[in-house]
Amino acid sequence: MLSQKRKQFLIFFVPSVLLLLLTVVYPLLYSLVMSFTSSSLKIKGMGSFIGFDNYIRVFKDAYFLKSAWTTVIFTVIVVTLEFLFGLIVAILLNRITYGKKVFFTIIIVPMLITPVAVGLIWRLLLHPDLGIINYMLSLVGIEGQAWLGDAKWAMITVVLVDIWHQVPFMILLLLAGLVSLPVEPYEAAEIDGANRLQTFWNVTLPLMKATIVVAVLFRVITAFKTYDLIYVLTKGGPGTTTEVISYHIYKQAYTFLDTGYASALSYVLLLVVLMLSAVFVKVSRGKA
Amino acid sequence: MSAKLQNKLLDGFTYAALVVCALIFLLPILWIIRTSFTTKVVAYQIPPQWFVRPTMDNYKAIFSDNPFGRYFLNSFGISLISTLIAVFIGAMAAFWIARRTAGGNFLRIAILGTQMLPPIVMVIPIFMVIKKLGLMDSWFSLIVTYLSFSLPYMIWLLIGFFETIPKDLDEACEMDGCTKMQAFTRVVLPLAAPGIMAAGILSFLMAWNEFLFALVLTGTGSRTLPVAIANMETQQGVMIAQLCAATVIIILPVIVLSLFIQKYLVNGMTMGSVK
Repeated sequence: MLSQKRKQFLIFFVPSVLLLLLTVVYPLLYSLVMSFTSSSLKIKGMGSFIGFDNYIRVFKDAYFLKSAWTTVIFTVIVVTLEFLFGLIVAILLNRITYGKKVFFTIIIVPMLITPVAVGLIWRLLLHPDLGIINYMLSLVGIEGQAWLGDAKWAMITVVLVDIWHQVPFMILLLLAGLVSLPVEPYEAAEIDGANRLQTFWNVTLPLMKATIVVAVLFRVITAFKTYDLIYVLTKGGPGTTTEVISYHIYKQAYTFLDTGYASALSYVLLLVVLMLSAVFVKVSRGKA
Repeated sequence: MSAKLQNKLLDGFTYAALVVCALIFLLPILWIIRTSFTTKVVAYQIPPQWFVRPTMDNYKAIFSDNPFGRYFLNSFGISLISTLIAVFIGAMAAFWIARRTAGGNFLRIAILGTQMLPPIVMVIPIFMVIKKLGLMDSWFSLIVTYLSFSLPYMIWLLIGFFETIPKDLDEACEMDGCTKMQAFTRVVLPLAAPGIMAAGILSFLMAWNEFLFALVLTGTGSRTLPVAIANMETQQGVMIAQLCAATVIIILPVIVLSLFIQKYLVNGMTMGSVK
């Protein structure tokens, strides 16, 4: 006879655990094993065990190191700009009384759109000959560019599109933080005769610190995993100027069919993301 | 007096800035919607024709020339089924974890951890396994694969909702002699229904928007909308007007659904990291 507690455990908890073992843990272990083999889509079976060869190759692979650098640059730029822009808009939204809901509804729309559609929308708008953007620029006398096809402009363009797509997320997070700030410190600041800038710098920012750290870290983690948008906008090109890590790994597995090596690369990425996540968990829980 | 004037000026500036900001977000989408209703010729025109007679031809074309109807059905069916499974199984696990004191923390962090996994890490082994099992290009493989992110996401969100429901309520029911399952279905579920609905919609949207798994695991049979529209461009050159119509179709359900869950959106999209 099973005890009551045990029965509850079996009914409530075990189905989820089994499903997660099957869909999350098993693939992760499979990939770990694969990363130590010469597995490839060109051959049948798992390939042979080759120890750490794949991992050694990772750090000698100039293309990988470049894609890692591209990812870091991309992440730092988009998160910084999204944070600054997001903070400004959140503060503006927090100030107003009328039409808050309307603005809010409009501003969050881009975030909800699938990255594939975002990429396609901007590809059409930015098309060198048929796009509206170059036409508008020509009206004010600026010469249009082949935005996504030009090595000079591709990264900047991808960054701008990503900002359009993801800044709503930052606005949401920061606005949620601003709304929940206590009133008393502001009253005190007013009595002390602080001006707006002083209040912002000495009251708002310190109170928002935890929210800001959480928001920025969360975006760093998601930006580091960016894949869909790059696939649609540039496929990593021109050349490898916008090839981020996720796209590089994808290419190893599905263009060069080198699944063993791709698994090793993905484990390196996993390690970095998990480290970032550990910091995130620590910070966000410490706050609560 | 001057402080008042200063305030007024600042208000004016705030609204002006917000209007500009809203336009930046809105105009690209409006332009795509406009182009989706133009004829092929008009869609290519630069300088653009500002006032066009709307036509439904592009919408008709994508559903007749492409098996777009089937892709839509695939997207809808796969997202819906995986969400329903995640809701049923996830709700029970979330309840169990929410009412636990020992070990709850570790479980929570483990579940949050799964949400951080880069999809590219998961897609390669899942692809290998599914290929080996001969299940490529099937609804089944995508549904199961989507559970890898929607189930933990659901559990995570629902733990939060269940925690807001006082323990006393279901414990009182158990005191009166009902089982844990009865306490769950009769007391907790009705109270958490709005939250579960919202979590379900969020999880549906996540599956609806998913691209990488669908790209790798589907062929023409179970292809979903994101993969279909990404392919449209490469296969047929730039069919601007049709591509716009397809984009509108993929975006529309998302925007409509999100209006229902605005209240939950912040928490849902940020994993409740900002309280």
